[in-house]
Amino acid sequence: MGAVMKRAPGDGERQSKALEAVTGLIREQVVPPTTAELQYGLQGLFARLAEGDARRRGGRWRWSFAGLGTAAVLAVVALAVVRPRLQTTAAPSLPALTYQVHGGSLIAGGYLRESGGDGIKLSFSEGTEFVLMPGTHGRLRSVGASGARIAIEQGTAYFQVTPNSGRTWLVDVGPFLVTVKGTVFTVSWDPLRERFELRLRRGRVAVSGPVSGGDIVLRDGQRLTVDLPGAQTLITEDQDKGGKGLAGKGEGAHAPPSATRAEFEPPRLAPAGPAETASPGRGRAGAAPAGRPARTERPLRWSEALASGDWDAILADADRVGVREILDGASSEDLFALADAARYRRRLDLAREALLAQRRRFSASTRASDAAFLLGRVEEAGGGDSARALRWYDEYLARAPAGTYASEALGRRMTLIKQREGATRARPIAEEYLRRFPQGTYAGSARALLH
Amino acid sequence: MAVQNPDTPVSRLVPSDRRGISDQEVARGLTSGEAWAVAEAWHRFAPMVLTVAERSLGSKSEAQDVAQEVFCRLYAKVHTLREPAALRSFVFSFAVRVLKSELRRRKARAWLSFHRPETLIELGAGTLDVEGRDLLRRFYGLLDRLSTEDRLVFALRHLESMTVEEVAETMSLSVSTVKRRLAHGTKRFDRFLEREPELARLLDGKGWGRS
Repeated sequence: MGAVMKRAPGDGERQSKALEAVTGLIREQVVPPTTAELQYGLQGLFARLAEGDARRRGGRWRWSFAGLGTAAVLAVVALAVVRPRLQTTAAPSLPALTYQVHGGSLIAGGYLRESGGDGIKLSFSEGTEFVLMPGTHGRLRSVGASGARIAIEQGTAYFQVTPNSGRTWLVDVGPFLVTVKGTVFTVSWDPLRERFELRLRRGRVAVSGPVSGGDIVLRDGQRLTVDLPGAQTLITEDQDKGGKGLAGKGEGAHAPPSATRAEFEPPRLAPAGPAETASPGRGRAGAAPAGRPARTERPLRWSEALASGDWDAILADADRVGVREILDGASSEDLFALADAARYRRRLDLAREALLAQRRRFSASTRASDAAFLLGRVEEAGGGDSARALRWYDEYLARAPAGTYASEALGRRMTLIKQREGATRARPIAEEYLRRFPQGTYAGSARALLH
Repeated sequence: MAVQNPDTPVSRLVPSDRRGISDQEVARGLTSGEAWAVAEAWHRFAPMVLTVAERSLGSKSEAQDVAQEVFCRLYAKVHTLREPAALRSFVFSFAVRVLKSELRRRKARAWLSFHRPETLIELGAGTLDVEGRDLLRRFYGLLDRLSTEDRLVFALRHLESMTVEEVAETMSLSVSTVKRRLAHGTKRFDRFLEREPELARLLDGKGWGRS
């Protein structure tokens, strides 16, 4: 794109229409909160107001610390002034997280491999602990100064997250995403029964995923159970978690089957031998498989470039380093970033190759399953053989029946079958789609097929 | 073309006379520290705050945090409200202020951590396909690169369909400043359009995954 662009007649109108289209899309996506969401929010508000009352009662302490606070602010300001000059050496204000793995090791793709049959424990430098119960399959997806992201693909895990407003902890549990504040909770996912359960001992988490009514925010002592095949979402509470202070005046407390405290206890893991220590700088999730020479360091972080919309920079970087070398040596994360950038720029052959490399080199990963779906999209975008796209969607649905793209894969399958074989053959898929995703993107098309 | 909701004026998001209680009564109840008034104010105004915050931030969970903060501040500051009937605009001005703080905090976090966090788009309806989500992720990535005030002005004008004068009043800015900030945001959007291949599909009326 040239640096100097002359505006053609009609550009203003096109821009205005484009802006309307995008903002309209956002308005369409933001739906008013449900009654249940409002109720959860109100409970949280009462709890916060009660906390505020308690803090005000201890307010005199604040004045004793006022001088100390002012000194801290001055120090931060001084640091901000000096920092630009020290940019290459200064430490960020949030220290980088390091972690130790006990009872197992971190292998290619961030997978956590258990070694002793007692589960795996990750201890982070600022006190947060993740414990994967024996037999649980999990993957450390990323660790940075701003927090970490872990995926639980099967089994049960315990989390004790140290509160820190500057860090974000995300837990992918099957098709669900748990956004964690400072908290203690246990989560489990059974992929065969498609059953999700989260028991929150204290703190607050938000759960998003295929549950009706959007995100669910859980508070102290609540338990969320989602049975996907039965389309059931159940939230229960501990009996001993009654309201207090102003919180006690809130509306609508839930009825209470309880979870015992013992269920929250983490397994006791003896540090088996020297723990594997890692930091974001080395051995992080997505590193090259063991035995493979580390890839050449590239100054550009592709995931960041992708997030910034700089996909041309990613493609130029790949061309500079050599596509073949990238396909053979890049991390899973980078391969995905390359595939995304290539899709956005309609370099479909490159997108296809990156996705195929993802499947070949990281075949056990969730990204490999996701790649199957995206390969279907690439086939369709290229106007190629729809039978090939269908095979990719079938593959994805077989590997990840409740995966992130399950709704879209099934929807695309329904659409392609209708185009290729007619409405009669597509109707059973439409029925299945409506049963599983009544609010999904393709629900309208499915209903139209059935009526 | 994806079916688009008509603009939803903020005032229409909640009925104004829920349970027959006026805004003045709610404001007086809040001033006296009545729990029923907190609940009533929440049910009455939280949908407005949640919607504005979710549209501006592109995140439902962050919008929930913002709403909690807004109502905590409201509870603490409601005694400064001179005109109880103006409770709705009082809440809205708190929402804008909290949003501004949240956006500044985000920028500071990104600056301090030497790392631009990935833009996560997490909007409530969740009915977009992968290309639609990608487009919105990139759009919010564009908004992330605007200054806090430019972004809020852009969001209030284009996502909340407020007039330039309303934006100016809400943000305590002059009309000419609002226009200047809008022009800046629009220029960035122009550049975004030049690089955005998926937008053509939206403009061609094909939408995503609805064929």
